[in-house]
Amino acid sequence: MIRIAWRSLTSHKLRTILTTLAILLGVAMISGTYVLTDQIDRGFKQIFSDAYKGTDVTVTKKAKFSGQLTGATEGLPQSMVDQVKAVDGVSAVFGYVTGMGAVAVNGKVVETGGSPTLFFSYSANDIAPPQYIEGAPPAKSGEVAVIEKLATDQKLTIGAPIDVITSNGAHPAQVSGVFRFSAQSSLGGSLIIHTTLPDAQDWFDMKGRVSEIDAKAEPGVSADTLAQRVRAALPAGTEVKTGAQAAADQTKSVSDSIGAFLKPVLLSFGGIAVLVGAFIIFNAFSMTVAQRRREFAMLRALGATRRQVLFSLAGEALVMGVLASLVGLFAGLGVAAGVNQVFKAAGFEIPSSGLVLQPRTVIIAMAVGVVVTLLSALIPAQRATRVPPMAALQEGAQLPPSRFARFAPIMGGVVAVLGALLIVAGMYGPGSTMIRLATIASGAVLVFVAVAMLSKFVMRPLVGLLGWPLQKLAPVSGRLARDNSRRNPGRTALTAAALMIGLAVVVFVAVLAQGLKSSFIDSFDKTVQADYIISAKNFMTIPSDTAQRVAAVPSIETAVSLDAQQVQAKGGSLAVVWGIDPFAIERVWSFDWIEGSDAVLSKLGTNGAILEEQTASSLGVGLGDPVPITTVEGKRATLNVMGIYRDPMMLNGITVSAAGYDAIFPTPQAFMVVAKATAGSDIGQTQKAVETALADTPTARVQTVAEYKKTTVDLVNQILTLVYGLLALSVIISLFGIVNTLVLSVFERTREIGLTRAIGMSRRQVSATVRYESVITSIIGAAMGIVVGIVFAWVVTTKFAGQGITFAVPGGQLVIFVILAVIVGVVAAILPARRAAKIDILEAIHYE
Amino acid sequence: MSDMTETTPQPGSTAAPATCENGTTIGLDDAVVQARGVTRLYGQGDACVYALAGVDLDLQRGVYTAIMGPSGSGKSTLMHILAGLDRPSAGSVWVDGVEITGLKDRALTQLRRDKIGFIFQTFNLLATLTAAENIVLPLTIAGRKGNEAWIDELVATVGLGDRLKHKPAELSGGQQQRVAVARALASRPAVLFADEPTGNLDSHTGEEVLELLRHSSDNLGQTIVMVTHDAHAATYADRIVFLRDGVIAHDCGRLGRDEIYDVIKSLEHVG
Ligand SMILES: Nc1ncnc2c1ncn2[C@@H]1O[C@H](COP(=O)(O)OP(=O)(O)O)[C@@H](O)[C@H]1O
Ligand SMILES: [Mg+2]
Repeated sequence: MIRIAWRSLTSHKLRTILTTLAILLGVAMISGTYVLTDQIDRGFKQIFSDAYKGTDVTVTKKAKFSGQLTGATEGLPQSMVDQVKAVDGVSAVFGYVTGMGAVAVNGKVVETGGSPTLFFSYSANDIAPPQYIEGAPPAKSGEVAVIEKLATDQKLTIGAPIDVITSNGAHPAQVSGVFRFSAQSSLGGSLIIHTTLPDAQDWFDMKGRVSEIDAKAEPGVSADTLAQRVRAALPAGTEVKTGAQAAADQTKSVSDSIGAFLKPVLLSFGGIAVLVGAFIIFNAFSMTVAQRRREFAMLRALGATRRQVLFSLAGEALVMGVLASLVGLFAGLGVAAGVNQVFKAAGFEIPSSGLVLQPRTVIIAMAVGVVVTLLSALIPAQRATRVPPMAALQEGAQLPPSRFARFAPIMGGVVAVLGALLIVAGMYGPGSTMIRLATIASGAVLVFVAVAMLSKFVMRPLVGLLGWPLQKLAPVSGRLARDNSRRNPGRTALTAAALMIGLAVVVFVAVLAQGLKSSFIDSFDKTVQADYIISAKNFMTIPSDTAQRVAAVPSIETAVSLDAQQVQAKGGSLAVVWGIDPFAIERVWSFDWIEGSDAVLSKLGTNGAILEEQTASSLGVGLGDPVPITTVEGKRATLNVMGIYRDPMMLNGITVSAAGYDAIFPTPQAFMVVAKATAGSDIGQTQKAVETALADTPTARVQTVAEYKKTTVDLVNQILTLVYGLLALSVIISLFGIVNTLVLSVFERTREIGLTRAIGMSRRQVSATVRYESVITSIIGAAMGIVVGIVFAWVVTTKFAGQGITFAVPGGQLVIFVILAVIVGVVAAILPARRAAKIDILEAIHYE
Repeated sequence: MSDMTETTPQPGSTAAPATCENGTTIGLDDAVVQARGVTRLYGQGDACVYALAGVDLDLQRGVYTAIMGPSGSGKSTLMHILAGLDRPSAGSVWVDGVEITGLKDRALTQLRRDKIGFIFQTFNLLATLTAAENIVLPLTIAGRKGNEAWIDELVATVGLGDRLKHKPAELSGGQQQRVAVARALASRPAVLFADEPTGNLDSHTGEEVLELLRHSSDNLGQTIVMVTHDAHAATYADRIVFLRDGVIAHDCGRLGRDEIYDVIKSLEHVG
């Protein structure tokens, strides 16, 4: 029986290849994701273990939690270096300052595409010193050494001027040397700069302090022993780790911060692709079972059991699944390399560490491909076993309807309701985010299945409607295409459903993005009463005195600094604390008060806070309640809720006065500055004046509010483009599905096509028929996708209305999607139409 | 060369096959297939049609029987029921001593596998397998190796020689049907059913297939039941059963072509 299955596969190569491709691409995406994230892991592991080579013990300030916006740390007193040195068994020790900032060459900030620019103070005692390939380490104030990548990219030679920009301003410096870190020219796109210790302490507001102390043990003293001794010698609030542990922790934190986002996102798109593939395999098997019914009947008449028929088809599915998974697995290596290239193009280089193909990746890729293929083939195979042996003796016997055929509408309804319930349960029910997302996702899958099951009942009128203009356009071909698509509504519905899935997700994302953009603009327009926003270029910082310098511009009426840091609120969830000038803010900001009024602002003092309603409700606090917070350094404070406002887009979190902010956080840091021009001043000229005032702060970006809004909307659009790119894979897979369906239906109609040709139909008309059929299918798929996508988006936006996402349908984009679907239809029809046109009349008529 | 004996229909008889001595006997009384009161109704109520209206029939081992009759007389229906492919509305059928009318699908499948061979009008070879592989397909399905000497003998009888490695599409219709005959014989079935085996062949290649069937009856002692409306094909059979309106209208031994036409004519006049 296995041989029968194998023969069947190899004798229908096109069918096998098309069906296999459907699942292969999804598997490739999944295996690619694992390969890529493993590669990132290994790359960083390499870097950090090199960085801590020879370091036995590290000492840092204990962090309370890890999150974003927590760049500034208080560090350790410099005197602690001597304390560590005094510990028995320490052979070498050095303390250093590290911080994040930016560099500018010729007044232009060096962009890193989102990666940080890291500064380290250089020490001659460095245990694992970088390899200097040119010049020397910084020896006196104003000297910096740069990583090879920066020197190469910016053509920096020894002695070249360079500006260092940190949160406390711009600092001119000179290049003293070029080094390699961890034998690599760059660190995943980030830049590394060495400075002298005093400079670093000055630039990062770390006077008398260091960020970390590293020590080396004397021979015979183990790292663990030394760590214990150092721990015993130091006060509480310090974190003492072995070098190996520190390297492992840092690897984990960096690769988690990349992987935590990248992995689930890429896997989700892989999952969507696999789902689309499953639909196509189901459809392909259903069609071939229908075509091969006589073959199964004959086998049954010769004494094959139902189980043998089932196994023979399952065998075909198994072979296809294994083949698809194997090829997909290795195609995944290509996917990983491709994504790598995309990152590289975006300036974020993943540390090169060669290919990593872990057994886990192989197992998951194989399991997904094989299981999904087998499951998708199961129902059609089950139907094949129901072909009565009698069918072998009868001409034109039909495949018996599935045992459950008459329950199909009810079952479709049940599946739909189940899917809807899961979505609602996931959205409103309890459980962790992961579990709830998984629940929503499985609900969505069920909804897709239900739509595919139920849509066949509306397929006839739908095809009729779409076919009508085609028939007007081309009376013969249009008419035939319309009839053909209606002939087997279940098949048309399934083929369209495969396209529906991809498009539904595209539309869903498009609608959400539209909602996000429009509510951002709404909310921005409502709250921000200013003319300019001065913000830091991607992920860099602006000096804390920026607001003062902007305010000094004559045509500027007010400039307010908005500072931001993450804290742990009520000992649990992370929240952003915003620091504002309580006396000036109302001139540029109009709070949408739920409780309280602008009068509260001036009474905030150092302990008062106003909360965004989402934060208030998630913390379960109301007016007058205390909110205990903990900073990343472990500093505690208790704030009093004095007002509640609605602002999901901008000041989302806890807002305190500048005095309160400074009391909580050690290092002042500006997130953005909001400024307003004096009445009657020229907007363009004032912008130039502000830019001039900030000329020595190249990380600052001065934008009019219109420009700022556009930048934010552009960012959403950029992400949208990326998502569309990932979803294109699903659309391509469904394109293969349409090709497959058309090839099979052309094959089925060989005789009929031959006859129509015999009575005078031209080749051109034959291929037009196939093309129209394809376009009808793809438009139906698009229509279903648009409807389902809009409904999904509507459901989600009702839930997240409070988070500021409104329901807005991007009409123009929908039109583009439909046009895209037509193109998919036309492209899918190329090969089948050519095959149909090539059918030999004589052969076809004798064809049995 | 005819000893025509009218059947003595006994509708509703439920006698056990071993003790049953009804029906036509041509020397042998070892019945491989027995039918008693077999009735087959299609449709319901006023629209119902009797495809078979009480058929009693014994098919002796080693006998080559042709079932003839005008189109719509119930030939195919009878064959399907005898072969366990269809169930009668009333009546019973025994194959090789086993009553098949009450059997479940699994047992029927086993019966087809072990006791019954089929030859189809449209050959029904697996297009993806070679001729040789098609011949041993029933053995493959049964998971048996088969007797090699027997297979060799079959292959020799079928006379395909070097074409055995070819796919069905590369064989002529006659060759394909000869492969189908060999396939039907491969598992040494108790009875071989053929539904219009020459219906899709020209007279010359049809002849080859008929010769082959005759040969397997003579030399291998194969029991054969062949449905045909071709008088020439029927002349190869040892016994000819004429159906008309779902009942056996005439049952006789070997006939020549002209004699068959006479019977057909006489039956028409009765109507
Ligand atoms: N599936 C069916 N449904 C309804 N009537 C049928 C069916 N099969 C056969 N019949 C009827 O039963 C009668 C006998 O048919 P059949 O056995 O095919 O005759 P034959 O093979 O002699 O031409 C005919 O009247 C035919 O119309
Ligand atoms: Mg018939």
